Amino acid sequence: MKVELINRPGNTAAKITLQPGEHCTAESGAMIAMSGHMNITTSTHKKNSGGILKAAKRLLSGESFFLNHFDSVGKEGEVWLGSNLAGDMLALDLDNENLIVQSGSFLACEDSIDMDMGWQGFKSLLSGESMFWLNLKGRGKVVLSSFGAIYPIEVNGDYIVDTGHIVAFNETLNFTITKAGSSWLQSLLGGEGLVCKFSGRGTVWCQSHNPNSFGHALTPSLRVRKA
Amino acid sequence: MQDNHFNVILTGDLRDGIDLSAAISSLAAMFKTSEEKIQQTIAKAPVSVKSNVEAATAEKFKTAIEQCGFVCVIKAVSETVAATAPVSAPLPVPVNQDVLASASEIVESPASFKGLSYKIEGRPDYSFLTVQIPANQTLKVEASAMATMDTHLVMKTKLKGGFGRFLTGESLFLNEFTAERAAGEIGLAPGTPGDLFHQYLDGQTIFLQNSAFVAATMDVTLETKWQGMLKGFFSGESFFLIRCSGKGDLWFNSYGAIIEIDVEDDYVVDTSNIVAFTDGLEYNITRVGGYKSLFFSGEGFVCRFTGKGKVWIQTRSAQAFTSWAHFFRPV
Repeated sequence: MKVELINRPGNTAAKITLQPGEHCTAESGAMIAMSGHMNITTSTHKKNSGGILKAAKRLLSGESFFLNHFDSVGKEGEVWLGSNLAGDMLALDLDNENLIVQSGSFLACEDSIDMDMGWQGFKSLLSGESMFWLNLKGRGKVVLSSFGAIYPIEVNGDYIVDTGHIVAFNETLNFTITKAGSSWLQSLLGGEGLVCKFSGRGTVWCQSHNPNSFGHALTPSLRVRKA
Repeated sequence: MQDNHFNVILTGDLRDGIDLSAAISSLAAMFKTSEEKIQQTIAKAPVSVKSNVEAATAEKFKTAIEQCGFVCVIKAVSETVAATAPVSAPLPVPVNQDVLASASEIVESPASFKGLSYKIEGRPDYSFLTVQIPANQTLKVEASAMATMDTHLVMKTKLKGGFGRFLTGESLFLNEFTAERAAGEIGLAPGTPGDLFHQYLDGQTIFLQNSAFVAATMDVTLETKWQGMLKGFFSGESFFLIRCSGKGDLWFNSYGAIIEIDVEDDYVVDTSNIVAFTDGLEYNITRVGGYKSLFFSGEGFVCRFTGKGKVWIQTRSAQAFTSWAHFFRPV
């Protein structure tokens, strides 16, 4: 599987080239175009792993219930993936390490990657924005998308990131949900609400914009939902 | 454009004692692109390979390119605006210079060009088109796309497709801008942030998705094309095609960047990501995968192109964005 990111950073699309026999799993709805001979199957789980329970967990995590699996029949084929918001993408090579991805940022991964919902305990319930995280482990390529630009931060010690700005982080990092200011009142009034405090050693990938803030900024000008 | 910004220009000449093919392959390696692309670029020389960068960066590019064996000059942006025909397909930036990719590439019409002279700025994220209309000529423009214009341009509104099409939602309001007596300039900003593409039609036919049309000269014939019940109904709310034929300039836009795909035998595109395609391609609205995929893959119906030709796709889709925004609608 070969990943090429095109038109970065504003309107990124990922071009994934598959050799015959290679499989790739992508978030449902992400495909924008593909070679005619590509085979697409939809399932609630990663091929040969897990099942309906994992799918239910993924639904809770804000990801969609279904995943699409692409494989190329006979000859080399390509799939183009896009995201719904303007922004950058990130292709990572995992080497038997664990990566925790904010639900919604996941775009695609190679067949050899195992995907599970990481339950981070009740502390993440408080964070409001993403109670759940996807836990990717194994060896292979992973493609993530973001709203705005992606920038990595090497954490050695402590670092604080707003919950809405996290794309992914190494599992070697511990995190706690905490308040941004010195008092709860100040944090809430300041609009920062809750933040993630990372400790340990590892990388956190952040996105420059917070999709929730953008969405709420649109709310006043959107039409009221009909029942 | 600031005065302290520079363009790096490839003169197309080789430095003494350098072999052309060796120089091309080392340049291709540096820009991480194919040798054919470099050859095409060299053929258009003198071309600007990097525009609107600061002095230090321009110097860096110059050294790197000269190491590959090509002669390269740096010119201040203000001098070069009129003098050069920039590359229409900008070279990818070397990876270590990634940040600089955000400096906008400006596409201008080449000097030897048959059609109207134009300029596209802000590609690929926020493209803006400026067209020079010669005296007493008329430009057809998508309704509401006009952003700026000279005061002597006269506007007339036309309905393309007729009343029947109007009822089916398949008609097109066009504004015609005429430069009366003297040449004039018009600035066009498409409704969606994204890329802009220019094609000079010389007898060929291009099909555009309805919202992709930006502007065309008078000799380009625009017709809305009835999709047939199945194609029209399943392909999304307001998807219809505009058939563009004749001779002249045609500009179209996208939401997100445009990717050009050469279709050899068949290719599948999500209906909401189609921008345009050339005549000669057959298309069918189909489902992807099995029935399970139809309802649950999130792709719904797709367009399957067969034959030989070009398809332009966009990296974002308005439908995907609105369904994301749906969650934020007030209850």
